[in-house]
Amino acid sequence: MSQVIGVIDYGQAGNIFNIRKVFELAKKEVKIVVVKSGQDLKSVDKIVIPGVGTYKGAMESIAPFYQELRDKILKVPTLGICLGMQILSEIGYEFGETPGLKYFEGAVRLMPVKHPVPHIGWANVEVIRPSKILKGVTAEDVFYFMHSYEFINYKDVAGLSNYIDHSFVSVVERDQVFGVQFHPEKSRTHGLKIIDNFLSI
Amino acid sequence: MSKIRVIARLDVKPPYVIKGVHFEGLRKMGQPEALAEKYYWQGADEIFYIDAVASLYQREILFEYIEQTAKSIVAPFCVGGGIRTTDDVARLLHCGADKVVINTAAIANPQLIRDCAHIFGSQCVTVSIEAKRKGDGWECYTDYGRIPSGKDVMDWVKEVQDLGAGELLVTSVDTEGRQKGFDVELMAGISTIASVPVVAAGGAGQLEHIRDVIKDGNVNAVCIASMLHYDRITIREIKEYLLSQEIEVTL
Repeated sequence: MSQVIGVIDYGQAGNIFNIRKVFELAKKEVKIVVVKSGQDLKSVDKIVIPGVGTYKGAMESIAPFYQELRDKILKVPTLGICLGMQILSEIGYEFGETPGLKYFEGAVRLMPVKHPVPHIGWANVEVIRPSKILKGVTAEDVFYFMHSYEFINYKDVAGLSNYIDHSFVSVVERDQVFGVQFHPEKSRTHGLKIIDNFLSI
Repeated sequence: MSKIRVIARLDVKPPYVIKGVHFEGLRKMGQPEALAEKYYWQGADEIFYIDAVASLYQREILFEYIEQTAKSIVAPFCVGGGIRTTDDVARLLHCGADKVVINTAAIANPQLIRDCAHIFGSQCVTVSIEAKRKGDGWECYTDYGRIPSGKDVMDWVKEVQDLGAGELLVTSVDTEGRQKGFDVELMAGISTIASVPVVAAGGAGQLEHIRDVIKDGNVNAVCIASMLHYDRITIREIKEYLLSQEIEVTL
C-alpha cells in the first residue's frame, strides 16, 4: 500500500529535494507531501522532519502549525534528521534560546570539543539497545554527519557515535518517534537501511 | 585524528567538467553527472561541484546541471560558483546541494556569510579561499584565481570564522593543476588558526602529496581532481594507500 510521507518545509532552508530522492530510491509506492500548514498534515501517514537550517529558524517556520505537528507526532511514525532530530528536544541554544517540539527530554547545545566544529564527516553508530530504526545496522556501517550542535539526552538513546574522542548521542527513539543526528539521505547504502526501516514501521 | 575525507572535485564549465593549470588553459574532462556518479561508486566521501566561470562571466547559476548531477548520488554534495544571495543558496539546496561554497561574493560582501549561517546553519557554509603567495604570506584571489583582492589569507580566515563559516576550502593558485604537490605550508598555517574543518585543494599528483598535506598540513579533507579525471587512480586506491600510511579513512 502506498504511504504518504509528510516532509516539513522550512522555507528557504531544508533539503526536501534530497529527502524526496532517497525515499523514491528506497521504495516506489511512496508519496511525498510537503507540509507547510496544519491542513497539509491531515493526510500524512508518517512525518519526516528534515535537516539543514538552524534551531531557531526551523521553530519559526513551524510556529504556525506547532500544535498540530506536536499532536500528529504523538500518533504517527516520525523521523527527525539532523536538525529535525534536534528540534524534537525541549530547548535549543543555536542563535539564542529556543523552545523545541518537546517530544524528547533534553537540550541541544554546541559540541563541547577542541576539534574543528562543525563536525563534518563519516562515523559509525554504536547500537546500545534494541532499536527499530537501527535494525540491521552493524558496527562497520558509516553515516554522514554535518553538525555543530548535539542533543544531550539520557533517557531515549538508541545509538552513540564518536567525533574523535568525544561521544555524543546520534540516535534517539521512543515508541514510533525516531531522531538521527546523521543524514541517512547522504549515507549511501547504510543510510538506505534507515529509510527502509522507517518505511517498514 | 578524525577520519579524513577524500573528496572528488568537479570544476565545471557547463556542460563539461574542465581542468586547467593554475586555473588556466581549461580542458574538457567529461560530463558532471557521469563523473559524479563514477566517483560516487568509487567511494568518494563527498562530491564538490564548482562552476568555474559563473562569477567570472557574471552569469546566473545553471541550476539544471546541478540538479542533474545531484540525482545520481546518495552522498554529500557541495556546490559553488556564482552564489551571490541567500536565495541562490536556498535554490541550490532545493536542487540537491547539502553545502555551498562561496568565495567571490563573500569577499565583496562578507555579510553574506553571516546571513547564510543564520538561515542555513554554519555546517552548510563552506568558504572557498583561493590563495596565492605574496611576500611572506598569501593573498586571497577571486573569480577562479584571476583577480587579487588585496586581502591577507590569514586575516580573512579569522574574519570568515567570526562571520559563521563552517568549513574552509583552500586552493593554492600557485600549485593548482600542476600535480606537483599541495602548498603544505599554506595549509599548515591555516590549520593552526582554523576552528572549523579545512579542505585542501590544488596540487595532488601523487599519493605522497596527499599523505603529506594530511600529515604536515594537518587538514581534515583533501580534494582530488586531475588524478581522478585522467584515470590515473581511483578514490578506493587513494584510500587504501592512506590506510597503509596510518591515516584513518572510511572504505
